[in-house]
Amino acid sequence: MPGGRRGRSLVPRPVRPDTPDRSPARPPARSWRRIFDDKLFPLLLIAPALLFIIGLVGYPVVRTAWLSFTDASGIRALTEGEMDFIGFANYIEIFSNPILRRSAITTVVFGLICVVGTMILGIAVALLLNQPFRGRKVLGVLVLLPWAIPQIAASFVWQWLFNGQYGVVNWSLTKLGFSGFEDFSWFTQFYTAFAVVGIVVIWQSFPFVTLALLAGLQTIPNDVIEAAKLDGTTAWQRLRLITLPMLKPLLLVLVVISTIWDFKMFDQVWVLTGGGPARRTEVLSVSTYVEGITQSQWGMGSALAMVLFFILIVITIIYIKLIREEEQIS
Amino acid sequence: MTTSLAPPPGAPPSTFRYRTAAQVRRRRIITRTLLYLAAAAVALFSVFPLYWMAVTAIKPQSEIITPEPVWWPSEFVWDRFPQVLDRGFGRYLRNSLMVAVSTTIIGLIVATMAGYALARFRIPLRKYLALVVLATQLFPVVVLLIPLFIVMRNLGLTGSLWGLVVAYLAFITPLMIWILRGFFLSVPNELEEAALIDGCTRFGAMRRVILPLAGPGIAAVSIFAWIAAWNEFLFALTFVRSESLRTLPVGLAFFVEQERVDHGAIMAGSLLFTLPVVVFFLFVHKRLTTGLVTGAVKG
Repeated sequence: MPGGRRGRSLVPRPVRPDTPDRSPARPPARSWRRIFDDKLFPLLLIAPALLFIIGLVGYPVVRTAWLSFTDASGIRALTEGEMDFIGFANYIEIFSNPILRRSAITTVVFGLICVVGTMILGIAVALLLNQPFRGRKVLGVLVLLPWAIPQIAASFVWQWLFNGQYGVVNWSLTKLGFSGFEDFSWFTQFYTAFAVVGIVVIWQSFPFVTLALLAGLQTIPNDVIEAAKLDGTTAWQRLRLITLPMLKPLLLVLVVISTIWDFKMFDQVWVLTGGGPARRTEVLSVSTYVEGITQSQWGMGSALAMVLFFILIVITIIYIKLIREEEQIS
Repeated sequence: MTTSLAPPPGAPPSTFRYRTAAQVRRRRIITRTLLYLAAAAVALFSVFPLYWMAVTAIKPQSEIITPEPVWWPSEFVWDRFPQVLDRGFGRYLRNSLMVAVSTTIIGLIVATMAGYALARFRIPLRKYLALVVLATQLFPVVVLLIPLFIVMRNLGLTGSLWGLVVAYLAFITPLMIWILRGFFLSVPNELEEAALIDGCTRFGAMRRVILPLAGPGIAAVSIFAWIAAWNEFLFALTFVRSESLRTLPVGLAFFVEQERVDHGAIMAGSLLFTLPVVVFFLFVHKRLTTGLVTGAVKG
């Protein structure tokens, strides 16, 4: 961290007031000011943030972890603290209850599919934007739009686009010869509902990957690519053997950020399927809301949130390991 | 490496042929065409939903629900915007603005102070602090949902917008601190030392020298916070119980539930919600991207 180490000023440090005999002539006011500047001032600066993080993040996380081992539910648990410690019962319930187990599995499987889709589309568009062609700058701005649109608003437009009777998508598919899509209802079946949710999620998260990769692509020295061209490599070989390996650290980071975003998706699922039909399209964050808030099962909701938390922790640890290995190689 | 043009004698007859000029040109035309086709497809995929939102919002009613899509309206209908504003969106807009602006201002004050301190001073446990700030980005915000809801309930904050502001600060401030710390690190320390030698206090140096220099960064972070608070749905859905306090995304969701088939009004409401964000977003996306990536790399 450059700059951080040099935190102290270059001004010669005044003698501290606890050794007054060595410089009795120095005015004490000045010394107090130095102490304030070097010791108290930074603490004052950081105190509100610490308070926020401990009070608004630390405490709630601990409370969630604790609630997840209790059967807290209903109003009385809040007003009179009426709840019992039940150990891992909530967690066992999650993995034996078909609705909740399905929700956990969907979160992981569907989340990973979305991450893969986001990465592939993000890389492809970044490579496209890295080519010289007319209108490249305009396309670079247009590609940002999906990221800029609020998730809720985006979900409503896509719902309208995928409308069974009057949606543009069904109309186009029918025109292209897939007559099965006339009046096709996307949101009443598990797989087609998630296909739409997946499209919306990937549509919203690929611009970030593209943008970050585009910056990374520009750091690859041109002569490396030119040299490979002279050696008679195909474009696919150059991508696989030079470009992607050189971007590997950045790609790892992007995979993790996309994983975190996609695994905690709520808005899109809530708007597009509402978790239905019959709670079959829930993901963990939706289940947390339904169990924890709608049904006032504070304990169960907390356990569901913790499961999502653990999944993300495991993925993050794997990622840190991978990055460490990467650093050791280079 | 040998670069002889003819294959070495005795080598098996190769199928490789040097391309003629005409072949090269044809190949070039094909790749160009494919490139432009791909670019057009990406542009269509990115822009069409927003275009369709805008066009549906200003179409005459008879051109919205048609067996064949009407790509361009025969006339522009603007009255849907005042209509939806009357049907609750005016209030939602005001609520959203209040929440987003309060979150931004409070978050900015706290994050500027902390970001500066983390960039300039040797605070005990500084390394861990930076890690904690980053870790708060990694876990899902639903983890905070239930305990914060319980606290808000017990404090009676579910009946006011302040509950929302507090909840948003929980997940927006850490990232603001992280990005701002990066900006402060990029301002050379020597400038500050010069100010100190000239007799400024630490606070004076920060206020007169560093903050003006980090101005663009601070502006970008404010916009980021504003957008995050403006867009947020899950907490707003959970914490706000009364109809009059709904923010735009929640108001929109309930509006859609009532007006299932009035697609024109739904799209007009969505557009009111979307446009301010898109405008702001185009200003800050670069800083946001580098902030998120470097934050994750250096952590």
